[in-house]
Amino acid sequence: MVTLTIDNQSITVPKGTTVLDAAEKLGIVVPHFCYHEALGAVGACRLCAVYIETEQSKGVQMSCLVEAAEGMVVNTLEPTAVELRQHVIEWLMTNHPHDCPVCDEGGECQLQDMTIAGGQSIRRYRGKKRTYSNQELGPFIEQEMNRCIQCYRCVRTYRDYFGGTDFGVMGSRNRVFFGRFEPGRLESPFSGNLADVCPTGVFTDKTYRFKSRYWDLQEAESICPHCSLGCATIPGGRYRELQRVRSGTSKEVNGHFICDRGRFGYGYVNHPDRLRVPRINGEECDRHEALAAINDKIEKLGGEAVGFLGSSRTALETNAMIKSWAEQSGSKSVCFECHPQRDNAARSWVALRGDRGRSLADIRRSDFILLLGSDPLNEAPMLAAAIRQAESSGSQVAVIDARPVKLPFKAAHLVVRPEKLSTIIRALKSGAFDNFERHEQLFFEGVLKSIKKAERPILVGGGDLLQAEGVAALCELMAQLPEAGGDFVHLSGPNSYGAAMLSGAAPDFETILDDIITGKIRALVCVESDPFADYPDRKRLQEALSKLEFLVVADYINGPAAAKADIFLPTAAPAESAGTYINCEGRMQRFKPVLKPGEPLRITGDGGHPPRRFSHETPGDQPRSAAEFIANLVGQPVTINDLRQQIAADDDRFSGLDQPEQGMLCRANGELPTTVNREDVPGKGDDLLHLLPVADLFGSGPLLSYCSALDAVRSAPCVVLSESDAASIGVANGENVSLQTAEGKLAVEVRIDAKALPGLVLIPQTGADAFLPGGVMIPCSIRKNGARDE
Amino acid sequence: MRDLWRDIKGTLEPFWVTLSYIFKKPVTIQYPEQKRTPYSRYRARIVLTRDPDGGERCVACYLCSAACPVDCISMQAAEDENGRRYAAWFRINFSRCIFCGLCAEACPTMAIQMTPDYEICNRDLLNLVHEKEDLLIDDGGKDNEYNFYRHAGIGVVNPRGGNEDETEPEDVKSLLP
Repeated sequence: MVTLTIDNQSITVPKGTTVLDAAEKLGIVVPHFCYHEALGAVGACRLCAVYIETEQSKGVQMSCLVEAAEGMVVNTLEPTAVELRQHVIEWLMTNHPHDCPVCDEGGECQLQDMTIAGGQSIRRYRGKKRTYSNQELGPFIEQEMNRCIQCYRCVRTYRDYFGGTDFGVMGSRNRVFFGRFEPGRLESPFSGNLADVCPTGVFTDKTYRFKSRYWDLQEAESICPHCSLGCATIPGGRYRELQRVRSGTSKEVNGHFICDRGRFGYGYVNHPDRLRVPRINGEECDRHEALAAINDKIEKLGGEAVGFLGSSRTALETNAMIKSWAEQSGSKSVCFECHPQRDNAARSWVALRGDRGRSLADIRRSDFILLLGSDPLNEAPMLAAAIRQAESSGSQVAVIDARPVKLPFKAAHLVVRPEKLSTIIRALKSGAFDNFERHEQLFFEGVLKSIKKAERPILVGGGDLLQAEGVAALCELMAQLPEAGGDFVHLSGPNSYGAAMLSGAAPDFETILDDIITGKIRALVCVESDPFADYPDRKRLQEALSKLEFLVVADYINGPAAAKADIFLPTAAPAESAGTYINCEGRMQRFKPVLKPGEPLRITGDGGHPPRRFSHETPGDQPRSAAEFIANLVGQPVTINDLRQQIAADDDRFSGLDQPEQGMLCRANGELPTTVNREDVPGKGDDLLHLLPVADLFGSGPLLSYCSALDAVRSAPCVVLSESDAASIGVANGENVSLQTAEGKLAVEVRIDAKALPGLVLIPQTGADAFLPGGVMIPCSIRKNGARDE
Repeated sequence: MRDLWRDIKGTLEPFWVTLSYIFKKPVTIQYPEQKRTPYSRYRARIVLTRDPDGGERCVACYLCSAACPVDCISMQAAEDENGRRYAAWFRINFSRCIFCGLCAEACPTMAIQMTPDYEICNRDLLNLVHEKEDLLIDDGGKDNEYNFYRHAGIGVVNPRGGNEDETEPEDVKSLLP
């Protein structure tokens, strides 16, 4: 620790802290452009000049580059330093266009703030301004290069932090240019962060282009609903429309950035087809009418005949309400995930992880990372970014997976069949590799050696591929890791962890389906969950649900279940309600409502001006948060705070939920599920092809297919085949084939991957066909287009 | 006694003042038959002007609505095929407007201007909610010279780098010093 004095205030900071950081801790603002907490200092913008009075580095210095030293005296208001800062701003403004009125950054622009703060309201330089030609950078990012002040933040984010390769700096002297070598879509799945890090308006969010000013936006701290990591986001809305999402800051989770899926996947909130009025048998009605009808029907059927289905994308509070609703009505059939494999994987992670679960911040500090059945870029992108940080500070990364896991850095990769993963993990635990092939043995030995050598190794698993058995094996292996090491398992939904904690040892959705088939359950209530989209075995589901007498669906997306519902309740989207998600490491994170549900002005005004009539009603404001609906149904009016207090009081593991502190870890774990052993769905024959739906960055997840901004980047439906399978079918790369499964037929393109395993067909969930919820393998056949049907 | 004199004076003096004005030119204007011409900088009805090339000056930057102390201005920005930013709709609620002129002061493109037209009273409040088509005039108002896009440097009116105060776009792949 060193103690220094800044502007006559003394502060003690850890050794290695920069003067800029130390000043910030004191609340002294030193203006800066190129310094960013996540990116570090480069001293390129010359704006953070301060005067250092003591001997070590006397004179005007860049505060982001000078390390705080014992006894140092710093003056940020010294006239020469202030004058230098003023001149730097003036120089930057000589070429900056005066286009703030048409710039989306206006209002949240660091350059604007610094220019005004520096007192440079008049441009003295009368020469001509430098201009550039812009590049088309795809559907997410808009470039206006004239505004650039050469702080290099974009390149440092894109290349250094996220490992992107298709963006960089070009040119020389004062024509330095930031962009791609050729125009085209930015390939990195983290490209949206350019809009956040750029201190001026060079890179702006194209989906938000010209929609609003920063000061008009309603913003609130929120949590991303697209994967289980729980990154902090700040959605912004105006005129009842969610218009953008920017990244929040959460040191333990995402740091300062978010992925493009989280940033641009917000369209489901404004979707034009979203149902905003309750319906009984397809007829619109008042919500009180609908609630009364639900209560009547449940009373008539008796509580035991009703199944309740929560979901992993619903807030913890709602799931807890569902549980108490079920208890009140006397039903024992409550489940919080309609995908049984994912449910069980989540439950076994929650039950077995002990206190060795690690956070993304731990992963960034780790020195050896083993990915088991985890494809971070497609399943949980910010995990890839975290691993990239570890890798760039020297950590080794190894991948054992069935998929061609693409990562923004180099990693050793072993391709294995997904069902072998748990065997492999057990073998890694015992150290006996006799049953494996030679190259596999060598790989495992290398992995074991690296784990032994490492101080903070982390095993990262994907719940989807590992499933309950694999997750359990991973937790066993964790015991052999050194003290600072641990496990990290990402699950399917943003609240999978919370849902698993609530369900404990309760039966899974399979049991509920069994009961529906036998007639024990005659009504099903689905709250923000859609078994028609997410349950893997479509046939069995159809069989069961056709026997239902009564189906209630409450949701904010217009999924397949909504069309089949007897009673539909429109609920508020996460951005429109308050709640809590528990992310995959057990961190309770609250989100706040950003805007009120209601039909966006863009829709009611039909593109033109808002309607010219006075009214007391907001169009489409019937949606309420699911928790509020259930509170009305069970007749207990509760606010979100009451609800949180009640949950915290009822269940010790959630204590802290009612505290103002954000991001507390859950205190204790869940119970192991009572798994019912079922026959494996895929046929075991050797000659069969097995279809494995794999996650896709912009395609998987229940919400993404409702986001129109992502349409432009969704990949065409394709299957990944091994060379030998392609040869036996007789297709070449890029050729169209027809894929046949028990669920249906699909025309897809073939991609041949040299690393793919024979007998295994991978199909990325591009959202083109919803019959593939993923998580399980199904038998399939592939026929060349034009080949004769047998 | 003094009070008596005061009362007499107080009774007669007003008559005298009245009488003296009988022979002077009256200052009262018979509104609405007679109307005064307000000064050109009088702050009344707000208009949206056009630039000398006939294009809409308003770029929907939201500065007027931000400056407005009574929140009577609302709009939505949009982009046309040339990259020009314009107001898809623009609404001023004159029943709320206090004619302070802060919007015109804030406007960076001289689009929004105050005019001396003060006769906008109406019995129906909805008639005082003016949309863009009610506000837009075919003139530059107080400045017929200025065109924001000829200075902004984003290449809407002129090609990029084609404005008077700009150089040609840089060739970033050039290796010349």
